[in-house]
Amino acid sequence: MPEQPYEPERAIAGTGMGGAMDLAASEATTLEPAPAGPLGTGPVGKPRSLWSDAWRDLRRNPVFLLCALVIVFLVFVSLWPSAIASGSPLTCDLARSQDGPGPGAPFGYDGQGCNVYTRTVYGARTSVTVGVLATLGVSVLGSVLGGLAGYFGGVWDAILSRITDIFFAIPVVLGGLVLLSVVTSNTVWPVIGFMVLLGWPQISRIARGSVITAKQHDYVQAARALGASDTRILLRHIAPNAVAPVIVVATIALGTYIALEATLSYLGVGLKPPSVSWGIDISAASPYIRNAPHALLWPSGALAVTVLAFIMLGDAVRDALDPKLR
Amino acid sequence: MRGTALARWAAGAGGLALVATGCGGGTGGSVGTAVLSSSWGDPQNPLEPANTNEVQGGKVLDMIFRGLKRYNPRTAQAENWVARSVETTDSQNFTVRLKDWRFSNGEKVTARSFVDAWNYGASLRNNQKNAYFFGYIDGYDKVHPGSGTQSADTLSGLRVVDDHTFTVRLNQKFSGFPDTLGYAAFAPLPRAFFTHHAAWLDKPVGDGPYTIESYTKGSQMTLRKWDAYPGPDKARNGGVTLRVYTDNNTAYTDLMSGNLDLVDDIPAAQLKNVRSDLGNRYINTPAGIIQTIAFPHYDPGWNKPGSQKVRTGLSMAIDRKQITRTIFRGTRTPATDWTSPVLGLAGGYKPGLCGSACDYRPAEARKLIKEGGGIPGGQVRITYNADTGSHRQWVDAVCNSINNALGNGRACVGNPVGTYADYRNQIGQHKMTGPFRSGWQMDYPLIQDFLQPLYYTDASSNDGKWSNKDFDRLIDRANAETDRPRAMADFQKAEEVVRDDMAAIPLWYQNGSGGYSERLSDVALDPFSVPVYYAIKVS
Repeated sequence: MPEQPYEPERAIAGTGMGGAMDLAASEATTLEPAPAGPLGTGPVGKPRSLWSDAWRDLRRNPVFLLCALVIVFLVFVSLWPSAIASGSPLTCDLARSQDGPGPGAPFGYDGQGCNVYTRTVYGARTSVTVGVLATLGVSVLGSVLGGLAGYFGGVWDAILSRITDIFFAIPVVLGGLVLLSVVTSNTVWPVIGFMVLLGWPQISRIARGSVITAKQHDYVQAARALGASDTRILLRHIAPNAVAPVIVVATIALGTYIALEATLSYLGVGLKPPSVSWGIDISAASPYIRNAPHALLWPSGALAVTVLAFIMLGDAVRDALDPKLR
Repeated sequence: MRGTALARWAAGAGGLALVATGCGGGTGGSVGTAVLSSSWGDPQNPLEPANTNEVQGGKVLDMIFRGLKRYNPRTAQAENWVARSVETTDSQNFTVRLKDWRFSNGEKVTARSFVDAWNYGASLRNNQKNAYFFGYIDGYDKVHPGSGTQSADTLSGLRVVDDHTFTVRLNQKFSGFPDTLGYAAFAPLPRAFFTHHAAWLDKPVGDGPYTIESYTKGSQMTLRKWDAYPGPDKARNGGVTLRVYTDNNTAYTDLMSGNLDLVDDIPAAQLKNVRSDLGNRYINTPAGIIQTIAFPHYDPGWNKPGSQKVRTGLSMAIDRKQITRTIFRGTRTPATDWTSPVLGLAGGYKPGLCGSACDYRPAEARKLIKEGGGIPGGQVRITYNADTGSHRQWVDAVCNSINNALGNGRACVGNPVGTYADYRNQIGQHKMTGPFRSGWQMDYPLIQDFLQPLYYTDASSNDGKWSNKDFDRLIDRANAETDRPRAMADFQKAEEVVRDDMAAIPLWYQNGSGGYSERLSDVALDPFSVPVYYAIKVS
């Protein structure tokens, strides 16, 4: 298989055909509105872009397939938890406190007599919601701020860089304890907001670097020479070619956000009952570890598998998108 | 005393010293001089006797001070200690005669030591938390007016007759007054307290069996046996090292691994194992502690016509039997009145006074809450402090019980507040919008102490601001009553007023639970759930 280094301008130099770009219109389309076909030196058949190549790699990667399977399952469970778990996670019968597995409760009961299986299944929704929304928020905010700073440079870039430095200096758990302890809301939004607040500088830095690299390429100069506006250059030429590193980092970060949500909930400042969260359950079960370890192990195991799945998925995506690292 | 039986003050428990063995008052090692270590929490305030109203500070005061009376560690009866006699003919004028006694700095304990201490405690200027204990003494309204500045510095009801005698005149008849004198607020103070106040606060000097050697906030306090202690309850060990723990689970683990000799608060999660872990080194004794759920009567949502039905309904939705059995494994007993079995039937304890309102009756609970206009805001949020004891476990269980009874998984949730200090502050500022946990550890074994400070209009610990004229009138009448059975009857009538309005939901009577290492013997908890330190022998 031909190695295709991650060099966006290859799209012009090599095939000259933008149609293969999966994500967005390629710069080629902008420069040459209607090239009819390969310039004559291209390979036979459909030319491959970075994205299609990455997808081809991923499809053959067993780690990626396994992780994707786990994640698809998690998403399914988050959307329809009642499909695999009967009863409500909020129904607890103290008489069953710390009991082992029984009918309808393959994972047993916790200290309050709640069904550990039902609660573990319902806990997935919280984790996936927080992970996905926090990642989306962080990616959008970070890419926009970092991208603009990288593209325009100058004093705004300097200011933004110092602001990211400041945010990097805030310890996440300490910040969570301080900021979230004043929140009384029972929803996932404060937690997501906190993660976006502390998470965007990381993405912003990567987006900035990636945009700075992209804007120095010839096709950007060419677009500018042809009179394209900043908006057009940013959206049509730079963004599609600078987004890959952001996607890689965001996918890996998704797993860490899920872990962070559990950490904050464990500490009592993340989600609060009656929300169902693995972190809450782990915290509630930890004093009972001697007598009812199952109540601790199942939500912990679910958390570990989920975080691992997202992080390894992110790893696989990075390998595919950034072959230089291999 | 506020319900801080399970209080564990937030502070770093790391970096604690190793076991304080063999560094006792003398050569160390042998019986009588060896030092024991015990779990503890930092006191809220400096250790002024009239300013300490929480359990951890009270524990130290109980070791370094002796007052006129002392409560028998077994029976809770008030016995003369520094007092030779406390006499009265009319329940209003008392004559106190003292024994020969000394402070640990050599100074004699005289009538003046008491009178000065009480004047200091009562004075508005000194802003002492326990000032209200002096409220029955004549002239209190002048030294501690409800508003404005004080017009006198000393209580006119106190008069020194000679070194060993003083008289007390009360502003009304109060037959139980002598029985209150064992409380720490009534302790005598040496001259040094007034002349070198800051130095005294650094290292308090008292007249009890122990002296304070050193105190490092957040870490530990070391106390040593006072060899020349004049009382009969001389320490049988060389001293006690009180170590600060922020989590009773950690203390328990330290006990199990031999790093700690005594814990006086077994974590609920370990109660299932405690018998196999400790065998007969596990103590479980009744104590004068009741846990309740209090309400913000200052909040309009909880104080409208019919609210008492909602409160009674909530009380009926709590399965006390199940919770005490499962969560507390018998270290709590479902409450059926607002006092404590420690008082005894003659002392005013009346099992069953609560009646059906304290039984688990889900159907009736649903009906009453509906009749009362439903739960204000649609959800009960029970506020509690998360740092101490095992409150989370029972609050969750109470909420699950209410949810099950009402058939609504979101009818009740726990609302943890990080630290006990923050929790007390929020309550003190009347910021509660829903029910909150409230524990009461008696100051002295009288039924009056379970009712008046908690439910009398504007009383010091009436955190929910409940107010009822009938209740106040009955309490006043009971206090003035010299005939004990008739006084009890009036107190119980007042308690029925509390019941009919469900001013607070009684949950359970709490036992003192503790455990100790193999080095110790003769370990017991008194009716206040405080270890009887002086009697402990260390091998």
